[in-house]
Amino acid sequence: MYLIILLCAGPLFALAALFSRSAKAAALTAGAYAAAHALLCALVYFNGGVVSGYFEADAVNRVFLLILSAVFAGVSVYNYDFSVKSKFDSHKLANYTAVLLLFVSAMTAVLLSSNLGLMWVFIEATTLAGAFLIYFNGTKHALEAVWKYIFICSIGIAFAFAGIIFLSASQPGEEKTLMISAIHAHAGELDKLWLKIAFVLMIVGFGTKAGLAPVHAWLPDAHSEAPSPVSAMLSATLLNSAMLAIIRVYGIMEHAGMEKFASQFLMLMGILSVFVAAVYIMRVGNYKRLLAYSSIENMGIIAAGVSLGQAAMPAVLLQAGGHSLAKAAFFLTSGNILRRYGVKEISGVTGILKKDPVTGRLWIMAFVMISAMPPSPLFFSELAILGRMFASGMWVQAAIIMILLTVIIYGMASVVFKMAFGEPGANAVDERFSMMRYIPQAVFLTALVFGGFLLLAGGLWKVKI
Amino acid sequence: MTSFLAVIFGLAMIYASSSGRIEAYIRALAVQGIVLFAAVLLDLGRLTPLSALFLCVETLVFKAILIPWFLIYTVRRNGIMREDEPYISNFYSLVITTIIFVASLGVSFAAFGSEAHGIIRPVYFGVSIAAMLTGLFMIITRKKIITHVMGYVMMENGIFLLAFSFAGEMPFAVNIGVLMDLFIAIFLLGLFVSRINETFDEVEVEALADLKD
Repeated sequence: MYLIILLCAGPLFALAALFSRSAKAAALTAGAYAAAHALLCALVYFNGGVVSGYFEADAVNRVFLLILSAVFAGVSVYNYDFSVKSKFDSHKLANYTAVLLLFVSAMTAVLLSSNLGLMWVFIEATTLAGAFLIYFNGTKHALEAVWKYIFICSIGIAFAFAGIIFLSASQPGEEKTLMISAIHAHAGELDKLWLKIAFVLMIVGFGTKAGLAPVHAWLPDAHSEAPSPVSAMLSATLLNSAMLAIIRVYGIMEHAGMEKFASQFLMLMGILSVFVAAVYIMRVGNYKRLLAYSSIENMGIIAAGVSLGQAAMPAVLLQAGGHSLAKAAFFLTSGNILRRYGVKEISGVTGILKKDPVTGRLWIMAFVMISAMPPSPLFFSELAILGRMFASGMWVQAAIIMILLTVIIYGMASVVFKMAFGEPGANAVDERFSMMRYIPQAVFLTALVFGGFLLLAGGLWKVKI
Repeated sequence: MTSFLAVIFGLAMIYASSSGRIEAYIRALAVQGIVLFAAVLLDLGRLTPLSALFLCVETLVFKAILIPWFLIYTVRRNGIMREDEPYISNFYSLVITTIIFVASLGVSFAAFGSEAHGIIRPVYFGVSIAAMLTGLFMIITRKKIITHVMGYVMMENGIFLLAFSFAGEMPFAVNIGVLMDLFIAIFLLGLFVSRINETFDEVEVEALADLKD
């Protein structure tokens, strides 16, 4: 019941936002949806819910649902100040808010889908809604970014659809199904060759959306050109939604007894993603793109974790949640920096701590959390994933990832500290920011620190290794 | 009869990939839509009434009329005429597409020509793979972004035929959702083509290479 309300609420709130007369009203509608979303997600989390044949809350997607809801709640607070201070007229902001709410409802539906075909439909819907959000600023660069985003993702998703057709072709007999639980139940009877082709196509397709290398090309452009609340949503929630599709597809391979092939393929893409992130983080000149490459790195680690099978699932969920909160805080803070300094180039920003001490501290703290230094929960999840890799004899792969992570932390630290310290340049404006531009990040980062200490105190992480 | 349809579909594909005139591509895509409609008509017997109706509408209304009409509208509005300097000349495109077509059909018949794989129709399967590859080939070798959209439509036609070459159906809700998504995607891409044309004064991918590291 709650689940049906949750799925229907989004479009209704979007409709309300569409007809709002002022930027304030639109932003408040977004806030109201965020509150309703959080409440309904909590109810779904504890009570579960099924819409027979199409939607179902299970152990894995409940966690992703909570992450989505928490991130959206924070972003909607930040978004209020962003909308009210925006230079665009209320008509454009009403459209923006309506599409943002549709984007969130499409992601909610992706997470809850228990049917692969339906999941595909909603993932493509997130692409279409996301396009409008990325193009929000209407600049030349935004146009370039949105073209790459919509075109590359649509091609990727087309591959995934071909994969879904092959998956149904792999089923014997006349009765075909795309229900995940039904496929699991008869996974042993699937045709191995068709299933392999289906797996590769689906991983490449959904991997495009999740930002896995080598099909990540749209990601840095879209994340850097989108307005900051949207960047936060893209990185912290959209990538997770596509990652859930990958987890589902991997689950089918596990049930079919083909996890060896699936693991090797996914591990390869995971390591490649971390590698690409490490290479580009060392040479990137734009701080929002830096954060985007860090998202690619984290998606790579999550993919590597997924490839370790069910036993690593708690670590994967922890990694996904930790990354989402930390990266949302990071992107929102980057929005503060962009507003204050007016440039996205790293070279144009120095002395944040002096100019805006709160933003500077949030910036450094978000970096500490995303770089998986204790007490960041990412420390424990990465430890668990790497530990499991060592335990299953993947010494080389684990060593490669560890070296690349060191490079990434070095690259990010040099940029983050260079921007935070020193004397502020003349381009920085003296605007006094509303608390709404600080509170969401502060709450996310505090939650992460507490979470980390709880994990440490409870010794929870030991269980997973 | 299916072979006849496959040949027309393939010829339209080869024509599109080797011609320089944008409107010629679009006509080829419309021909493909009509061929897909004919393929659905041939198979009416094995379809439930609801999905038969749906597939007829999808192929005739969307693939043969609406999408080509919208592409023609976009092209005329933006004054795009020819693909002037593709990365590969039209002659070699013709050769490569023909090779893709023949090879796809050959592999398909070699793999499924025998009766052992009763569920797969080798003609459709081969042509669908060829259409997907040709769509990708067009995207890679052409410079105009409108041609990329057509490559994408060609891929989608291939995927439609792929689904059709297997027995079995998707749930109706999923079918509707897929069609809506694809249509909106093409619509959005068309809008962005116009926007890029206004902003950059040209509609080639090389204009879109400013964002990089």
